[in-house]
Amino acid sequence: MKNFNVLALFAFLAVAVGLLLMNKGKSRDLQDKVMSVFSPFIHASAGVDKAMERGPEVAVDPVQLQRESERLQIEVQRLRIITKKYDEMMNENNELRKNLDYKQGSHFKLTAARVVKRSAGTWWNTLVIDKGSLDGLGTDSPVITDMGLVGKTGKLSPHMAEVILLTDELCRVSAYVEGTREKGILAGERGGTDLRPDLRLRFLNRNAVINIGSKVYSSGDGGVFPAGLQLGKVKRFENREISGEAVVEPVVDFEGLKHVFVVEMQKAEPITAPPVLRAEPIPTAKRK
Amino acid sequence: MLFNLIVLVLMLVSFAVQEFIPSIMPETTHYARLFLPAVFFFAASVAVPFPSMLVLALVTGVLWDVRYLPMSSDAGQAASAELGMTMADAATIGTADLRFGYSILVFGLLGALMQGVRPLFKKGRLELPVLMVGFATAAWLLIQYLLMTLLRGSFYFPTAMWLKLVTDMMYAMFFSPLMFLTLHVLARATSYEIKYDGLRYRYDGR
Repeated sequence: MKNFNVLALFAFLAVAVGLLLMNKGKSRDLQDKVMSVFSPFIHASAGVDKAMERGPEVAVDPVQLQRESERLQIEVQRLRIITKKYDEMMNENNELRKNLDYKQGSHFKLTAARVVKRSAGTWWNTLVIDKGSLDGLGTDSPVITDMGLVGKTGKLSPHMAEVILLTDELCRVSAYVEGTREKGILAGERGGTDLRPDLRLRFLNRNAVINIGSKVYSSGDGGVFPAGLQLGKVKRFENREISGEAVVEPVVDFEGLKHVFVVEMQKAEPITAPPVLRAEPIPTAKRK
Repeated sequence: MLFNLIVLVLMLVSFAVQEFIPSIMPETTHYARLFLPAVFFFAASVAVPFPSMLVLALVTGVLWDVRYLPMSSDAGQAASAELGMTMADAATIGTADLRFGYSILVFGLLGALMQGVRPLFKKGRLELPVLMVGFATAAWLLIQYLLMTLLRGSFYFPTAMWLKLVTDMMYAMFFSPLMFLTLHVLARATSYEIKYDGLRYRYDGR
């Protein structure tokens, strides 16, 4: 081997080892910066994906559109009424809490985001959403839908974020089974070969009595995910050598995700004003 | 020199193109797809000299990890560790994951292996280089999976994983002749001289 090749090999190994030993914060910053560079390509590719999914444009009947519009107007009115009722109840609830000098442990800020696309990684289950650090998102924030927990945020760019799905082994949630005292750690499958695999609730008691169909919720231990988020339903229970393990069917349909909410948990503080559950409007898809 | 630079630029472009590559029949193939940067790197490893291959491995490894390696923050890891300690000691075993930069070494190793078929590539024989690109792609994916298995602490090799791996390998082999053709055209356009162990060969398009 030529001297120059040996020199190049040593330089390569030195740089590689240096990067491997790099501080996690620095590597994370690097990931975030490169994610920003890739953002335009990710957005553009999502557009191409959608165009391919839609296929050729089909002419729509105007009468049918009119009917649909009327139906949606009625639906909007109905929801307005419900919202009004909800606001009244929230105000009443806040007043009562204030009167009781209730101290809120934490309150949430919900940021609505649109699912851009599924990442083209090798063995990981991740999605990309269209909100990022400039929209107030942080790393390791829970991502939810009205059905339950979707996952947590990973890398961030100014207007884009990666979501590590609950179905990935990397996303671990402390969870409990409804109606029991059984707590365990829920994780997805290795490899990300399926978008809706069964989840595994590990470290349960060996002889735990768990009913099939029982709901599984996050327990809030660990500080990453808030308590009470629905994760799935127990499919079966297996006795292992040391502990019990429940096979859990996820409640969220990860295949059909269009919109999600990112939860920003804010620090505990005594209530001086009513707690507000803020939600940004769900962005609507642009039409040509 | 010009050839090496253009190959490096093409490598960067391949990362942008990767975003547009869909997974064909994702339900059947378990989201297998063509991993263009990796396949291009393995193909280019046959064409460039050893030091250039190392530079390419460095760039490909860094960019791949930066773009595709999910990473939880220290806070998240700490929370997982705390969770594991309170819930069960065994849980802490599974909190470790692949470190940023591991891909550089994997690409470097496989690139060095690919350099072994340079004489065949110079002669325009693509059978073995194409097979080697497929093998290198499968080896790259398997090493990733095995490292994850080693770090997370349990053996889990489902059929879906093997199916995905084999499909990825097939895609790599199917598209690699296109990469080799591109490299040949580029070599001819830049009058690139492929050297191997002291031998000199001027590519003249035959």
